[in-house]
Amino acid sequence: MNFIKRGFLGITRKKGKSLILLAVIFILGNLISGAISIQQATGNVETNIKDRLGTAATLELDHEAVEDLSEEEWLEIENIDIDLIKQIGALSYVKYFDYNTSTYLGSESIESYQGEETEDEVVMMGPSMDFKLNGINYAPVIDFEEQKGKLVDGRVFTQDEVDNGTSVAIISTKLAEKNDLNIGDTFTLENAVYTYDEETGEEDVVTSRDVVLEVIGLFEPQSIKEDIEVDSDTGMIDWMDIEYQNTVYVPNEIVASENRYHMEEYMKEDEEFAKMMEEEGDSFEYYTPMFYLNSPEDSEAFEEEVAPLLPEFYTVINATDQYDSIAGPMESMSKLAKYVLLVAVIATVLITGLVVLLFLRDRKRELGIYLSLGERRIRVVGQILIEVMVVAVIGITLSLFSGNLLAGQVSDMMMKANENQDEYYEEYIYFGDTQIDLTTEDVIDSYEVNLNSSYVLGFYGIGLLTILISTVIPLIYIVRLNPKKILM
Amino acid sequence: MILEAKDLNYYYQDGEQRRYILKDTSVSFEKGKFYTILGQSGSGKTTLLSLLSALDSPHSGEVLFNEEDIKKIGYEKYRRNNVGIIFQSYNLIPTFTAVENVLVPMTITENEIPEDAKTVAYNLLDYIGIVKSKADRFVNKLSGGEQQRVAIARALATNVELILADEPTGNLDEEMEQEIIDIFKKLAHEHGKCVIVVTHSNEIALQSDQAFHLRKGALSSYE
Ligand SMILES: Nc1ncnc2c1ncn2[C@@H]1O[C@H](COP(=O)(O)OP(=O)(O)O)[C@@H](O)[C@H]1O
Ligand SMILES: [Mg+2]
Repeated sequence: MNFIKRGFLGITRKKGKSLILLAVIFILGNLISGAISIQQATGNVETNIKDRLGTAATLELDHEAVEDLSEEEWLEIENIDIDLIKQIGALSYVKYFDYNTSTYLGSESIESYQGEETEDEVVMMGPSMDFKLNGINYAPVIDFEEQKGKLVDGRVFTQDEVDNGTSVAIISTKLAEKNDLNIGDTFTLENAVYTYDEETGEEDVVTSRDVVLEVIGLFEPQSIKEDIEVDSDTGMIDWMDIEYQNTVYVPNEIVASENRYHMEEYMKEDEEFAKMMEEEGDSFEYYTPMFYLNSPEDSEAFEEEVAPLLPEFYTVINATDQYDSIAGPMESMSKLAKYVLLVAVIATVLITGLVVLLFLRDRKRELGIYLSLGERRIRVVGQILIEVMVVAVIGITLSLFSGNLLAGQVSDMMMKANENQDEYYEEYIYFGDTQIDLTTEDVIDSYEVNLNSSYVLGFYGIGLLTILISTVIPLIYIVRLNPKKILM
Repeated sequence: MILEAKDLNYYYQDGEQRRYILKDTSVSFEKGKFYTILGQSGSGKTTLLSLLSALDSPHSGEVLFNEEDIKKIGYEKYRRNNVGIIFQSYNLIPTFTAVENVLVPMTITENEIPEDAKTVAYNLLDYIGIVKSKADRFVNKLSGGEQQRVAIARALATNVELILADEPTGNLDEEMEQEIIDIFKKLAHEHGKCVIVVTHSNEIALQSDQAFHLRKGALSSYE
């Protein structure tokens, strides 16, 4: 007849009361379980989607803020200089960063890649500038680190090559195959300066210079959309792919020097333009910074820390910013779940507290008897806790499964309602060079109510703790009384 | 001297005033004797007994068990190892059978309990007058007299030398009362226990080895 045995006898000898307690816990458990299910599922969606959106961040002009500026004000906007980029790149949130400048060049000696089918009928309209010279500063090339492309032969840049602006390049295997280029070969692009006659619409080559580059590496695009069918109507993905196949990675300095050349030659031709440029000072070096953060969760903190460092009118753009615009139905669900959880926990504390209190009022005398027999207070508390907690564990376990089912059902219904209600919007997001096309549908697809260990632990934790608290408080009140007050 | 009360004071605060129930009350008890404490209703008998059994604590004064202050022993420990308490309203656990009720203190006490506790409990009940068939009944299916016998068996289960009872026959008829008193006499005289019974019955007082009269917070010998 020790306190443990007494606890279990307390359950079996008073079946009616145990069943009432079980029913109460089961019902409230369903509420809590359902709410936690939904919360967890929405949380999963957020991390899932944000992971797919990536950790990229960049600095851009705030389009809304600059919309109404006058021309003079426009001219006063500062450029983001490299020192600031480096300062931001040194923040702890940043995994790696780069700043890029690019230009398009043509060539007379090599042909651009134009896709598999159109190979035999390349239509050339005027002087083509098919090759995208993509300057980088991060020698291992961030696009490769981020799986946009993959180095399949040769090597990446050395820091020396980047710093000195050595004439080396990494090109795509498709471009190399088309022109029989191998590692160690050189090829020539052409930096041509044109004038454009507004009346006739004719373009004249004024001057040009050769850009000779040595192939040090070959890459292949790693399509992020392997599982998505190519959209044959718009050719959108094709076009993106072709541009990337014709991208030539070079050190930033190569691009900068070609841009400078182009600008200087052009200024010789167009005096008006030259005057304007002189007034503004040297600002033809413009770099797009790209920061990759350690985790999508860092983006808010990163934004907060960076914003004050930026010149006026600039803003931080995070890849994950997009989440908010496609996560509409999720947000309302998450909010609802939060309220339900809060209400359910409060109700559980109150109702189980009340039930246990009624339960204990009948038992007060019994507890007094144990105390009068010299039983330790802690064991008296222990006995009742066993009685309540054993029932609670059973009730919670049952409601764990049924609440989860219920949550699945409820969220299915809500998702459907939301889908019909909101105008169905699909958004293509262009982010830097990376195209991400996640839609509300993707969000809904990745929503999944399931039983995982953190959910189960969380539920047992919250449930048992709630019941524990509502039992222990009235119990302590009783066992603190002296037995005479209870019994005599 | 197995039990001794020294200068016990117990009062209720009545506004500004203290209404003393016990005032400098001292008394002592020996083993092998059957004592009664007599007094009118409201005279403080239950209060005194609750202090002697460590169910409550006095405002001042001390209770010594075998010369040791029970406060030093520890109230809980004193209750589980040194004293058996019997109440007017039995105070049995209704969801347990008679024998289960007797077994409860045996798992609480630190006193040595024979290994086959259940047999001991049945024997004890049998000795007090509860046969086996009744020992397996839930206690609320027993008569008042039977319930009080179970309560006595429970008090004896831990093999203590000190038995305290608060009007144990208050709810019983006269015949039953005499049987219970006979048990108390036997416990004192044949088993060497110290039995202290609080009562307002003269008949019971006359049968005890020594009777005290509690009046106005003080004890006197009752002839
Ligand atoms: N909680 C209380 N507050 C004030 N007075 C009380 C309280 N409990 C008991 N009393 C008083 O204490 C006195 C002694 O009570 P008690 O020891 O139970 O007497 P007895 O057992 O002799 O009838 C009584 O007069 C009673 O009215
Ligand atoms: Mg009384």
